[in-house]
Amino acid sequence: MATLTWQGSSYLTQVKVLTGRSLRKFVNSPALIFFSILQPVIMLTLFSQIFSSITATANFAPGMTYVNYLLPAILVNTAMQSSLQSGVGLVTDMKDGVIARFRSLPIRLSTILLARNLSDLVRVAGQLLLMITFGVLVYGFNPAGGVLGTLAALGLALVVGWGLSWLFLAIGSWLRNAELMQTIGFLAMFPLMFASSAFVPIQGLPGWLQVVAKVNPLTYAVDAARSLALAQPVTGVIGALTTSLGIAVVCAVIAIRGFRRPL
Amino acid sequence: MSELMIEATDVSKSFGDVRALDGVSIAVPKGSVLGLLGHNGAGKTTLVNVLTTMLPPTSGEARVAGFDVVHQSYKVRSRIGLTGQFASVDEALSGFDNLVLIARLLGASKRQARDRADELLEQFDLTDAAKRPAKTYSGGMRRRLDLASSLVGRPEVLFLDEPTTGLDPASRLGVWETVEKLVSDGTTVLLTTQYLDEADRLADSITVLSQGKVVAAGTSAELKAQVGQRTVTVTLDSVSEVDTAVEALTGIGMHPVAEGRTITTPVTASRELANVVRALDERGLEPHDIALGEPTLDDVYMALAAA
Repeated sequence: MATLTWQGSSYLTQVKVLTGRSLRKFVNSPALIFFSILQPVIMLTLFSQIFSSITATANFAPGMTYVNYLLPAILVNTAMQSSLQSGVGLVTDMKDGVIARFRSLPIRLSTILLARNLSDLVRVAGQLLLMITFGVLVYGFNPAGGVLGTLAALGLALVVGWGLSWLFLAIGSWLRNAELMQTIGFLAMFPLMFASSAFVPIQGLPGWLQVVAKVNPLTYAVDAARSLALAQPVTGVIGALTTSLGIAVVCAVIAIRGFRRPL
Repeated sequence: MSELMIEATDVSKSFGDVRALDGVSIAVPKGSVLGLLGHNGAGKTTLVNVLTTMLPPTSGEARVAGFDVVHQSYKVRSRIGLTGQFASVDEALSGFDNLVLIARLLGASKRQARDRADELLEQFDLTDAAKRPAKTYSGGMRRRLDLASSLVGRPEVLFLDEPTTGLDPASRLGVWETVEKLVSDGTTVLLTTQYLDEADRLADSITVLSQGKVVAAGTSAELKAQVGQRTVTVTLDSVSEVDTAVEALTGIGMHPVAEGRTITTPVTASRELANVVRALDERGLEPHDIALGEPTLDDVYMALAAA
């Protein structure tokens, strides 16, 4: 006894093993898989049916189908919602005592956050692919940008979601209260989602809401994803990517600091 | 003198105005078991958290396995196992996956991790439940998995924070036997408990904490001698008489502790029994029963904690 059996694991192994753990948890839970599939299907169905008459309004580009207009926006929205779940998931783990176990091990605490971030990214990538497939098969999603443009929009949505996930991980690691996070998250997300170009062209909104929509960062992310998918002149892609990267870097530092505080 | 595996010197920890630990010093030689006794809120868990690098001390110094808990926390964590008060297992994963996960994080290869997991599942009688998610486990199974999790890396120093709280008698015995086996293999153990029989059975030396301070330390026999050779237990007819009786006994310089309609008070000599009877008689109390008992650790604990 009293001999060291193992000499500790590398940073990369820690991230890999912990990411695998989160994904395995997901795979082990049929209910979670079911609802992760259901959510994008419902979103796409509801929004594409409820708002389809918007195509008849004056501000809507002639010849554009609503599903082509909507789907890139929903990709960004879903990625954003999933990033909130990232933070909530972290807090839940902290409550369950699993994090307490990890903290007693000789591992770097930042790997726990990184793993949570990566596994959620993999999960939302699956969700978004599913949503696109469903959109193509059921609602005739057929954007001018084709497969490449659609994949580019998907990639952009993932980068935005990835950046925001660090934001919610930072909030979670300081706030440490899942219910409060859910509440704040939904309160923040609804205005962000609707006071934007996601569902209707901005020109159709009342004047004051147009002002809000124009300063809403989500508008820029949605416009960028849409321009990629619809092969329009590309707008704001660089801006969306650099903003997401900036948020990710700053929030990752804040998240790791918050997470290091004792449980 | 053998090597010290846990050494805390004048450790204090404050949370705001609350002083959870107030100048605590302990020393645990290699291969021995220290029992940390105390009420809820006495500071037991805080001390464990400081020693396992979970919490930095406000002042003082602590070394575990020869390494400083603040400046060499990584090295400390490589050599310890921790089983906290609440089972820290991943409920969504199977018992097997829980153990493999920890072994991998400790640096085991996939194969080594699987072998170690199988070995521990066998040792803790969890082989049949190995593939089931931990959320389907009973409380006792969960504690066993938790204990197994803290042993994956064959730690030199094991911290057990109330490891048998909420366990049935058979499971408690199982945990005790595991601890005894580990100690015989050279593991050093710090065990916190509220159960005195547990400390009496497992611990080589006992430290009693009260309000963040060490109020007594020594072997079980030393503590019993320190507190008094014997105790008198008075059982009254009704709870309403308890206050009067406590007053009477306090009046003759004793330190009675009341629980229900029973009062326990340490005595230095058996002839003090007469003093007890006289004091109660003067107040017109006729006890239901008076017994002179050999000291147990409970008496030690109650007397010290009440002091």
